[in-house]
Amino acid sequence: MDVFPVYLTLKVSVVATFFSVAIGLALAWLMARKDFWGKGVLDAIIMQPLVIPPTVLGYYLLVLLGRSGTVGRFLEDVLGVTLVFTWKGAVVAAFVASLPLFVRPARAAIEGVDKNMENAARLLGKTEWEVLKTITVPLAWRGIIAGAVMAFARATGEFGATLMVAGNIPGMTQTLSIAIYDAVQMGNTKMANMLVGIITIFSFLVLYFVNRFTKGRY
Amino acid sequence: MSLSFQVKKHLRRFSIDVGFSTEEELTVLFGPSGAGKSLLLNVLSGIARPDSGFVKINDIEVFNSTTGINIPIRERRIGYLFQDYALFPHMTVFENIAYGINHLSKNRMKAKVEELIALMRLIGFEDRLPKELSGGQKQRTALARTLATEPRILFLDEPFSALDYQVREKLRADLSLIHQRYPMTTIFVTHDLEEAFVMGEKIAIINNGRLEQFGTKDEVFYKPKTRNVAKFLGSRNIFTGRVASLNGTIAIINNPDVGEIKALIDIKGPQLLVGEDVTFGIRPEEIMVIRPDRPIDKKIQDNILDGEVVTTIGKGASHTVYFKIKGTDTNLKIEIPNFAYRKLNLSKGKQISVSLKRESIWMIPEKQVKV
Repeated sequence: MDVFPVYLTLKVSVVATFFSVAIGLALAWLMARKDFWGKGVLDAIIMQPLVIPPTVLGYYLLVLLGRSGTVGRFLEDVLGVTLVFTWKGAVVAAFVASLPLFVRPARAAIEGVDKNMENAARLLGKTEWEVLKTITVPLAWRGIIAGAVMAFARATGEFGATLMVAGNIPGMTQTLSIAIYDAVQMGNTKMANMLVGIITIFSFLVLYFVNRFTKGRY
Repeated sequence: MSLSFQVKKHLRRFSIDVGFSTEEELTVLFGPSGAGKSLLLNVLSGIARPDSGFVKINDIEVFNSTTGINIPIRERRIGYLFQDYALFPHMTVFENIAYGINHLSKNRMKAKVEELIALMRLIGFEDRLPKELSGGQKQRTALARTLATEPRILFLDEPFSALDYQVREKLRADLSLIHQRYPMTTIFVTHDLEEAFVMGEKIAIINNGRLEQFGTKDEVFYKPKTRNVAKFLGSRNIFTGRVASLNGTIAIINNPDVGEIKALIDIKGPQLLVGEDVTFGIRPEEIMVIRPDRPIDKKIQDNILDGEVVTTIGKGASHTVYFKIKGTDTNLKIEIPNFAYRKLNLSKGKQISVSLKRESIWMIPEKQVKV
């Protein structure tokens, strides 16, 4: 059996989740703790992938990141990076699709942290960064983990946008979800069952362990 | 250390506009719930930004709306004990106390934390999480955490409100001790009258976001400047009358219910004029019940009123007696120690005479009441 789709899906999901958490945490904190002009608009943009069809999202990304797109041309000419029809394109698709799933619970968790807890830390002489690192994030930990898991799950299951941006190139951009689709199309039921089995067991284990390890300690 | 400020802040339905200055002593900030006490502490500490005004610590401005100075919270070195303590739930007692001083060398930090743990009677609880502590232990941990950073000024926001009576007494004593050991400009917020009286050297009374009076305990309790102050401080016996005559140190006031009252004029107080309306009153514990079996003492022979006891309410160490002045509908509230209450054999319906000592009567000219 070809294990490449499993390996690729893991790689894409891990990298996409990493970016979702890193960028999403900053966004979640901003949305939870700051008031600024255009906050509502920014929120609506981040949440778009939840409501917009994945193919439409994929189309936007394709236009934006492709050779003729502004961002795509800049990346290719200046940095020498090609996104479209590469595994990196799959990462971008998975990242955009999973970001709102991380930001939502993370924002709610940060909003749930008692502001006086943060103020107490400031009064004890801590900078904003220290407050975030030692108080806000540890106290919002469960929401952040929950968001990361949701983002990871979304990234592993990403299909529509990935297909649009990265295509279906076996051994290069064919992720698990796409491989399952391919197998079913070609009538390879055995292959489809195996891949479906892998993804089902994996998803179950992730949720089980996350629930176990994030049970309230305080 | 000294703290002086004059700040204004408008919220949607509420505003504060308060200023005073205080030095190395304990100032009680007293006022009813919703008077703006916590908001004031937030504004002074930098948690909330005032709309205008200034805040000075040791004559150095930490905030000034005109010059734009606004020192961040972390550099103000203000210790703030929140009403709910705001202990970090994910840290042990030790970690909580060490939190503000973890930039020190490990040995110095440890020595300091251990000293505070001993001082606060927390030995043996170092490794507990806040949720495993009693209310009193939580509060002592929070206080230790604050004191560890050696703040210049200490804010205590209703520190005892969530604790039961016994713990409260003990903590009050602790706090007085700490205050003696580390003399620090302290602002103590409370809406508990007894606590205000026990703790305060100076008392600032705020109501509806405004300072009603600021002065020593005796000034505020016995010479209230406004009718509100008298009311908040539990002086139920407030009347209006007209100055009939002034005779040296004595003013004679006429009131239809209590008749002619002689009162000692406070030399530091406002100027009184004959014919002017005044608000006057007397604290419940300053009213003397006259013992019929003894000759009347010279000190209490003025302002004697006859009447009857309407109700009595036992309050632990003392009794509150409501006394109806004969021929009127006016009630006086009298606070009387238990031993005297028993000796006088007071009960509902009993006819007694009381004396309003002239030096215990406070007066506020009406024109100042209306400010």
